Amino acid sequence: MSERLRRHPDMRLTALAGEGVVLHLGSRRYFTVNETGLVILTELENPRTFDELVSAVLEEFEVERHEAEATTRAFLTQCRDAAVVLEAAE
Amino acid sequence: MTAGPLAPAYRLDCADPVLALALRTWLDESRLEWPGPFAIHASVVDALPEAADPREAFPQPELLIQAGPPDGTVRIRWMPGLAEAVVHATEPRVSVRFTPGAVADLEAAERGFLLVMLLFVLRRIGWYHVHGAALVDPAGRGWMLVGNSRTGKSTTTALLASRGWAVGTDDIAFLRDQGARVGVHGFRSPIALRQGGRELLGAAGGIDLTRRGKTGYLPEELGGRWAPVVVPEIILFPVVGERTGLAPMAPRAVLSALVQWSLWVLFESVHAQEHLDLLGRLAAQSRCYQATVGPDLFRDPTLLQDLLP
Repeated sequence: MSERLRRHPDMRLTALAGEGVVLHLGSRRYFTVNETGLVILTELENPRTFDELVSAVLEEFEVERHEAEATTRAFLTQCRDAAVVLEAAE
Repeated sequence: MTAGPLAPAYRLDCADPVLALALRTWLDESRLEWPGPFAIHASVVDALPEAADPREAFPQPELLIQAGPPDGTVRIRWMPGLAEAVVHATEPRVSVRFTPGAVADLEAAERGFLLVMLLFVLRRIGWYHVHGAALVDPAGRGWMLVGNSRTGKSTTTALLASRGWAVGTDDIAFLRDQGARVGVHGFRSPIALRQGGRELLGAAGGIDLTRRGKTGYLPEELGGRWAPVVVPEIILFPVVGERTGLAPMAPRAVLSALVQWSLWVLFESVHAQEHLDLLGRLAAQSRCYQATVGPDLFRDPTLLQDLLP
């Protein structure tokens, strides 16, 4: 996957002790994220590819690459469904 | 001798003397030390025009709220067509129109409408509302009880006031960045108890809050005192139960609960991040617990302090 992803402009994030809460101002919904989700969303402050996000997860946690890929993929699917992450314009 | 700068204060522009007096009394009795100047233009109109604002309305009890693009204003309508406020997109000023029906029921307007108007105005000068009580224990520690009505918040606040705690507010708290810490400014109003709460406390007298079906007590009437500013160190999210207890919460559960009870963070992109960051900092400076409040607390009001790890 080489597409670059970014945060939706309506997304807001704050963190506490390695976990976080995410707001989507457009839908007025919010949800919480665990440590891995927080790392990914923090990375997405700037556009990132899937591989770059997996690398960030691998740097932060002692997990196998296939685990990091699966976790990142699942989290991004949730984020896209909630419209907090978008494909970045080239 | 030269005069110093005037303290920040509000400007109320209202030609109707009855309404002006009521609004000024309501604002002044809150005893809030306003964080900066703001302006209210209030008028009485025969009827409100049909709303032509195409923005999606966010329904709240008795209210419809519209916010966001394209103009960034916040329009608050008190149903059914009794009053309407339009808060400026960026500046701390609001234009509010009352019908005669609203003027005749200002006690209801204060909590159901004017408070929401005020908290959107105060967002523009750095104060952010949380639905919670703020107190200071005899050891000088700041506490918050955060949650909806019927969670024991006001009754617990009244109980603790009767044991000498200082009270900032029983449910209208404004967060403010105080540099290293987040402080809470309490809107001074009577602690509102239902009959069950009065019986638990054995409280007599009080102010009849007819429309809310409650009786109000200022902290001083219960043996406590008022605290204009509280710096929280302990936050409880209470529920009523059989036996008093405290359970630690995961960080994300704390953040989620604070967002839930500071709902306006989901409005207005221009203020959302600052508001959210204040909630995060408030959580970071505090020990946070899910609290069960039971009848045993009324037999031993030191339980909450004793249960703290």
